Amino acid sequence: MNEVPPSQDEPDEVDEFYRRTSSLDPGRPSESVRQVVLKHAAQLAAHRAAQQAPARIHTRAPAAKQGWRRPAIFGTLAAAALAGLLVAPRFLVEPAAGPGPAVGPSQRQDVSAAPAAEATTAAERPSADMLAPAPPPAPATAPRAPVARTAAPRVSPGTAASPTMDRNLPAIGSLSGGAPAIAPQNSLAKAQGFAAPLGGMAHAADPAAALRRAAEIGDVPGLQRLLDEQVDIEARDSSGRTGLMLATLRGQIKAVDALLAHGADPNAADAQGNTPLQIALAGGDPAIVAALQRAGAR
Amino acid sequence: MTDAGASDEWLIGRYAGGDAAAFELLYRRHEMRVWRYLERNVGNRATADELMQEVWFAVARDATRYEPSARFTTWLFTIAHNRMIDSIRSRRPQLSLETLGYEAQSVVEQLTADPGAGPLAAAEALDQEVALRQAIKELPGDQRDAFLLQVEGDLSVEEVAAITDTSFETTKSRLRYARSKLRDLLKEYA
Repeated sequence: MNEVPPSQDEPDEVDEFYRRTSSLDPGRPSESVRQVVLKHAAQLAAHRAAQQAPARIHTRAPAAKQGWRRPAIFGTLAAAALAGLLVAPRFLVEPAAGPGPAVGPSQRQDVSAAPAAEATTAAERPSADMLAPAPPPAPATAPRAPVARTAAPRVSPGTAASPTMDRNLPAIGSLSGGAPAIAPQNSLAKAQGFAAPLGGMAHAADPAAALRRAAEIGDVPGLQRLLDEQVDIEARDSSGRTGLMLATLRGQIKAVDALLAHGADPNAADAQGNTPLQIALAGGDPAIVAALQRAGAR
Repeated sequence: MTDAGASDEWLIGRYAGGDAAAFELLYRRHEMRVWRYLERNVGNRATADELMQEVWFAVARDATRYEPSARFTTWLFTIAHNRMIDSIRSRRPQLSLETLGYEAQSVVEQLTADPGAGPLAAAEALDQEVALRQAIKELPGDQRDAFLLQVEGDLSVEEVAAITDTSFETTKSRLRYARSKLRDLLKEYA
């Protein structure tokens, strides 16, 4: 997969100069980063390998021990056939008595729409993947490398422990031709913009997390639903960010408006002390800045 | 057993199945490219290190969700791009010319302290490296990002467009402008 991809411009002397000079650049990532990353990856791998082992053992179970399956299958089939014989005549008689079609238009539509729905699901699969339960926690808490600026104030969406990290999953389907599932609100959202509304499934697990997620990706209908359900609007993620902060960070003006309309605190700072207004100013979102200021942000 | 010549896509699949060595191969294969992409975009080594860690943690965690319909490098650089954008947005007020100047000075010190290079070679390398860094820094952010994605990620225009969520024509235009400006700035070297 390392062949020259399509639509690559012809090799340019600038590119050659860049590569030649870069190869001489002594700059390297710090060794501590490498060690931390590889250690973390090894822990996850060990965990996954351990999880898969029981499944393999199960598939290798000797067939002799599964002799009970045959009579069970035959019994089930026989019961189904008997039920069919008893119930089917009723349905065979009914059409003569009434004008209603056996399969209504809406049902036919559903059937014909099935491939489309399937295609939609496939196109959105990466987003759906984002809904999948996060991989089980690593055996040990993922450490951070002792890099120099870790203490500096920052807003770091999606640290390893953050539930928002899932947004980094690109929609591979869209990379290979599909359109992003939602229209991004600005350049940052565009950079992030491969996500689809998530409200439903995430909601089942943690309504507050679902609210933050909906705010972050600009899923206004989902957000509205959660707000109507009185989900805690000020609930914070592991970095101390509210839904309003995440919506601001992602440039989701409609989500910002919805949250402010429901009384979100416009001055709720994150764990690093960053306020939504500071983030909006840093991100150059005049509409969000204005909305926050109207709501009393300082 | 992990094959050192295996494709990226095969390796990430192996890693998703629990093969830690496959991840290490992937990491070593792409380490420098990802780091340079990050470091030259954010203009700060410490920040690049932080982002590097976040990017590869994400790769490790989400390996099971990777879909081979796209190249691994496209997926990898999408993650890196998203992290980088987040970082720039959240850190912009903290970045200063002083910081960037310190970084440039750090490069100078490293190059001149390299005992393996002869004085002339070191001076030339230093000259070119500083010129390249300066030229890249002078590019507008969108153009710099597109250029670095393509040259470090070995990505097509379509892939860069998808990652940055811009149209093909816009991306192509950014790349052209970036190369044109770099050519001007580096004409005495390239």
